[in-house]
Amino acid sequence: MKVLCKFALLALPSLLWAQQTVAPTTGETTGSVRGDNAGDYNIVQSWELGYRFAEIGGDEGKYRSDVNYGNGIRLLGGSITINSRDGHGSWFDAISLTTQGLGNDPYESATLRVEKNRWYRYDLLWRSNDYFNPALTVANGEHLEDTAYRLQDHEVTLFPESWFRVRAGYSRTTQDGPALTTTQQFDPQGDVFPLFANIREGYNEYRLGADITRRGFRLSILRRWEFFKEDSTSQTLTPLAGTATPFGGAVLPDSSVLTSFQTAQPYRGKTPGWLGNLYAEGKWIAVNARISYAGGRGDFVQNELAMGIDRFGAAQNRQVVVEGNGDRPVLSGDLNITVFPSSRVSVINATSVSDTRISGDNSFVEINDATLTTQTLAFQYLAMRLITNATDVRYRVSKKFDAFAGFRYSNRLIQSTEDSTTPGSPFQGISAQQTNQLRAGVAGFNWMPFPDLRVHAETEVGRNDMPFTPVSPGNYNVIRGRVRYAKRTYSLTGGYQENYNNNSIQITAYSSHSRNYNADATWNAKSWLTFDASYSKLHLDTIGGIQFFAGSPRATLITGEESIYISNIHAGNFSARIPITRYADLYLGYTITRDTGDGTSQSSPVVYNPFTGTPFFQNFTQSFPLLYETPLVRLSVRINSKLRYNVGYQYYGYHEDFEILSQYQNYHANTGFTSLLWSF
Amino acid sequence: MLRRLWILLFPLLGAAQTPSKPANPYVGSEVCKTCHADVWLNFYKNPHFKSIASGKEAPEKTGCEGCHGPGGNHVAARGGKATIGAFSNFTAQQTLDTCLACHSKDISRANIRRSAHTEADIACNSCHLIHKPATPKFLLAKQQSELCYTCHASQRAQFEMPSKHRVNEGFMQCTDCHNPHGSAGSSGFVTASAGGGSAMLQPAFDNEEPCLKCHADKRGPFVFEHASVKVEGCEGCHLPHGTTNAKLLKRPVVYTICLECHNGAQGFGRENTSVFLTPSTHNLLDPKFQRCTLCHIRIHGSNSDPNFLR
Repeated sequence: MKVLCKFALLALPSLLWAQQTVAPTTGETTGSVRGDNAGDYNIVQSWELGYRFAEIGGDEGKYRSDVNYGNGIRLLGGSITINSRDGHGSWFDAISLTTQGLGNDPYESATLRVEKNRWYRYDLLWRSNDYFNPALTVANGEHLEDTAYRLQDHEVTLFPESWFRVRAGYSRTTQDGPALTTTQQFDPQGDVFPLFANIREGYNEYRLGADITRRGFRLSILRRWEFFKEDSTSQTLTPLAGTATPFGGAVLPDSSVLTSFQTAQPYRGKTPGWLGNLYAEGKWIAVNARISYAGGRGDFVQNELAMGIDRFGAAQNRQVVVEGNGDRPVLSGDLNITVFPSSRVSVINATSVSDTRISGDNSFVEINDATLTTQTLAFQYLAMRLITNATDVRYRVSKKFDAFAGFRYSNRLIQSTEDSTTPGSPFQGISAQQTNQLRAGVAGFNWMPFPDLRVHAETEVGRNDMPFTPVSPGNYNVIRGRVRYAKRTYSLTGGYQENYNNNSIQITAYSSHSRNYNADATWNAKSWLTFDASYSKLHLDTIGGIQFFAGSPRATLITGEESIYISNIHAGNFSARIPITRYADLYLGYTITRDTGDGTSQSSPVVYNPFTGTPFFQNFTQSFPLLYETPLVRLSVRINSKLRYNVGYQYYGYHEDFEILSQYQNYHANTGFTSLLWSF
Repeated sequence: MLRRLWILLFPLLGAAQTPSKPANPYVGSEVCKTCHADVWLNFYKNPHFKSIASGKEAPEKTGCEGCHGPGGNHVAARGGKATIGAFSNFTAQQTLDTCLACHSKDISRANIRRSAHTEADIACNSCHLIHKPATPKFLLAKQQSELCYTCHASQRAQFEMPSKHRVNEGFMQCTDCHNPHGSAGSSGFVTASAGGGSAMLQPAFDNEEPCLKCHADKRGPFVFEHASVKVEGCEGCHLPHGTTNAKLLKRPVVYTICLECHNGAQGFGRENTSVFLTPSTHNLLDPKFQRCTLCHIRIHGSNSDPNFLR
């Protein structure tokens, strides 16, 4: 037994080395000989209790958004597996529990599986995330969220190995917590005021289904019910004065004041639906047919009250009441047929049909200073019917080489109606219909020139006759390739992917071109001596024609401008696990992300000097060079046959070589942990 | 004539009815453990042990021979990979066929025959290690993210960027959004305009993007939908794995994203006329209008306002 324990403890540190983060990973190695026998069961468990620390300098909001590790005692990781030794346990044959970050880490999770052969299997997934985002560059820090996001999922399968299986499940997701948001009052040119918000969202899903396997056919039926509710509210309690805006060489006065504001928009949504799947596989054919329906519906009421002074100095007292609902039935079906006319050839045809119809209507009532000023009835309809068909043919020339080619076609019908009217008025809305067709061809091959060397390459060329937006796929092509050489102790991988999309429009042509290169090398010299290094270059440049209004003192339409964006990201990752003595292992890691932009290391000219009154794009290149790096070191020392002492340190450094909308977000953080790993 | 035919067929019928000793008989797992003790010692922890514990499965579905085929010749020859179904000798197709003999039961594998992994000759044992797995659940060869990064190194780089989904932190997994065994349909959800099946995305309940499984508040149905979100999907504005930009956006500044579509160019949008231009009241020299979502707070869809203001 002592030998087994030693073996277990030698193996356990490897669990810590798997991830480049100060959070130890969880998981059990089941392939090794270890654990204690208790009656008819074998038990393996380990628990790691420690203290985590973090010292942050610079923009703490950005740190919390990116990393978010704090101080305190944590159950950093834990796992336990219990297995019946003969497969005939009384109530269960296997239990597997893993936990991570329990005790207030920002990323907590637990998984549990309990099963009894032939009778049942139960799976639990639980996660909790402390979410923080200051949205500094997106919304000037006025859309801050500091919420807790929690997820749980339960799934029970009865008679899991039988021809007749019953499945039942329940999922729950919640998000709640304080936040900041904004409201614009009292006209479209009015000022924007920050609000306190109380976010409360909940989502529940119930599932019930069965699988029947008979005579080579498997039929699955699943019934689901989803419920979503939101009871978020937002308000301001103290009067807020409007801010003067520097604009066009002058500072515009803004005398607006929001004296009081509150809004609530309770929402209740439900989506009942069902899914049917028929699968059959024979010697020369495999068929998979699926059909699903979901009927989504949401009901809501909004009550908003705003009091204050508008930008012209007039008193405002406005209430908005909106009520209505939305419907979204979705029907979809797939039929996939795979034919194997010979051992060398396979032909796959996949046909999908999907129909989505979203319709909504509301009644919008605005009362200003106790006078009914506006009542509007709105109706919206957006429907998409998508039909796709893909056929792929694969020919295996030999055990070492096969090639494939295919053709894909999709036809998408989009129908739209928009109407907004007053009660009693006739319909005056806009209805439109369009059809998009996409044709694409694919081809590729797999080649194994040597037993340990694999080469894969493929390309796809597509043409869309009517892209929905200027940035949608229009005329595109994709090239992918990968070479991998893998031996028992080391592997070398190289890859390349290029995406090019061109979408001609009247103003100018939008094009997006990305090229990704990556290389990875891994060497597992011994189980306790490993090296891993990878490098990726992610290059993206896009160009798009834009038009907008700008100018001083009066805005004019600026045309003929281009928005050019260049990103050149070099990302590297290195890790090494090295034994420094018989009782101690050292892990070194380093991760770097550097965007060199267009190579000039200059600030982006996105924000133009407003005092000159000239537009701010002017075909300038937008690039945002930055550096994000995280070196890491961990030391693990074996104290005795059941205890290990671990200490880890990780530095986070984030540095922008630019400013976005006058915001700087640089930060650095020293984080780490010290822990005891107890396994028995 | 009939008599002649009968005489010709009779020996065949006789041969079919007479039990004959198979050329390569099943020997049972007890025999296998004689030589493969290292595998057998821990095999009771393996989910495949069920077939042995059951005691009711046919020999071709029980224990070692359930996957490796009959071991009679292997025993007679005193071992050797040529005499048994050794997965290291299998082609990807053979491996897939062997595993699907039992594992096609699960609905999540219904599309594996046409998945991008199968097309690239990524067989089951490229990711699953049956006898020495790193995870007791699903018998993966490594922790899931590390396993996927083996081939998808660019995705590793994306998940190490400042703004990302928390995969490396262990909070999420690749399979939360992707089905490595293949997704339904060539474009399993309505927003896939360019054959999204290649990404093997695992659609949400009503055939929508997987993002909405967690971000249920963005789902609707809303009275006023942001049409591009519903038609083209979240990727129109966001890069889901990770970026250097806040909120997983494609650009660090939000209005550059908005202007690339809202430029008034003809031939786009739900009316097929244009994605409408920002109005003349939006003087983009005013910093207020450079932060579009300060006013358009319900940009994913609104029930009250067609301009997503409330």
